[in-house]
Amino acid sequence: MKDRISALMDGELSPAETEDQLHALRKGGEALEAWRRYHLIGDAIRDTRPLSRGFSTRFSERLAAEATVFSPASIPSRTEKLRARIPLSAAASLAAVALVGALAYQTFGPENQQVAQSAPEGQKPAAKAAVPMPGAVNDYLLAHQNYSPRSTLQGVAPYVRTVSESSRPR
Amino acid sequence: MKAFALVLLLLPGFAFAQAPQAQAHPQDASAWLKKIYLASQKLSYSGTFVYRQGERSESSRITRIIDGASDTEKLEALDGIRREIVRSGDEVRCYLPEDKIVKVDRRSKHPTFPALLPAQNAALSGHYAISKEETARIAGYECQAIALKPKDELRYGYKLWADLGTGMLLKARVLNEKGEAVEEFTFTQLTIGGNIEKDMVKSSFAGESRQWRVENAGVVRADLAKSGWTVNAAIPGFQRVIEVNRLLRPAQRVSQMVYSDGLAAISIFIEAIEPRQEAARLGLSSMGAVNIYSRELAKHVVTVVGEAPAKTVQQLGDAVAYHRPQ
Repeated sequence: MKDRISALMDGELSPAETEDQLHALRKGGEALEAWRRYHLIGDAIRDTRPLSRGFSTRFSERLAAEATVFSPASIPSRTEKLRARIPLSAAASLAAVALVGALAYQTFGPENQQVAQSAPEGQKPAAKAAVPMPGAVNDYLLAHQNYSPRSTLQGVAPYVRTVSESSRPR
Repeated sequence: MKAFALVLLLLPGFAFAQAPQAQAHPQDASAWLKKIYLASQKLSYSGTFVYRQGERSESSRITRIIDGASDTEKLEALDGIRREIVRSGDEVRCYLPEDKIVKVDRRSKHPTFPALLPAQNAALSGHYAISKEETARIAGYECQAIALKPKDELRYGYKLWADLGTGMLLKARVLNEKGEAVEEFTFTQLTIGGNIEKDMVKSSFAGESRQWRVENAGVVRADLAKSGWTVNAAIPGFQRVIEVNRLLRPAQRVSQMVYSDGLAAISIFIEAIEPRQEAARLGLSSMGAVNIYSRELAKHVVTVVGEAPAKTVQQLGDAVAYHRPQ
């Protein structure tokens, strides 16, 4: 049964099997105990600080309040890669991280997806190719201007920076 | 930007509940700032101002009508390519006739500001020396000059000239650490109050722009720390005031964090690198009082835009860190 829980955490079960396992977890007992233990092991391995009291409840409440977002299919594949490089005993806990990641990903909603899906730090930066400049400067300035205290004192006057033809940075 | 008002109200030496006539000619520089702020919240006006930045100089017409609950203003560039900005309440519409685009954005109500007030207050009086300077005549108005000198090199200095009678800001200059003007706004003609035609604050492109592309920024509040983005080192006096997710261009999602010391603001933009995009311009660039700094981090481009010295903008940009959320 513990294998099944590990598999559940890895997202490797079929929808029907997942449903069964979740049902087993809901009943508590040994299954839930194993679930918790795997997470605890994971936390210990990663040296993660324990979650604050009532985190799960608050998380569930917030999750329930969020709009449903269809999550991408890429997350299980990352799990696969991780599994290939680490001992199986740690796999369950790491997979749990991936699961929490997937949940968090859904919770944050579409506006955050690009940021949330970014590469880990330390990964080799991509070749120099990125934001269009300087044409985009106006876009940044316009977006910035809305939050500047100067707009309070001078009304829309500072927006003149934003849209000027010659507003190309030196 | 209620925060600035609150900052001003909380500054020491403020006569909080003074009768208006007692403030007609405030003796104190801080009281002048309050007068300028109050004027900016209640005066309707129409005029022409010149914006100077280095060798660049441009004229624009600006009109503002505050009528009961409605607050509308329009900026119309008189030089160079045609463009107009119309703000109506919190909505800001930028009309770009050459591109046939209307950009729609929202000015923030800053619900986060009150919580930061004590720090904001400390930032303004703690980081700027505020003094009353000479009087001068600008666009036919006798004005009082107020100087805000920075106490460190992390921020620019300001000199403001306000009408003795109404407190209307006639001229604003931003100064670098050498005391040189990096940017200046000066009214060359101004009518305060009176009957201003409502059409003056309507876009002249209101009709034809119905055929144009509308680019809505779709701003939503966000918590970037949850996505793994943090700023490790704070700039003294600068507080984080808002975090949002928005569109910068169509289909280009960006996260934005804004820091402010009560006078200047610095925005941090974080966007994923798209494979098709043109080459980035990484590093520093400057435009008058605005400095821009870009760097790559974890397959994203971090772009910092702020009305602060290049050093400050770069420092904030370098403090941005990413840790994959657990």
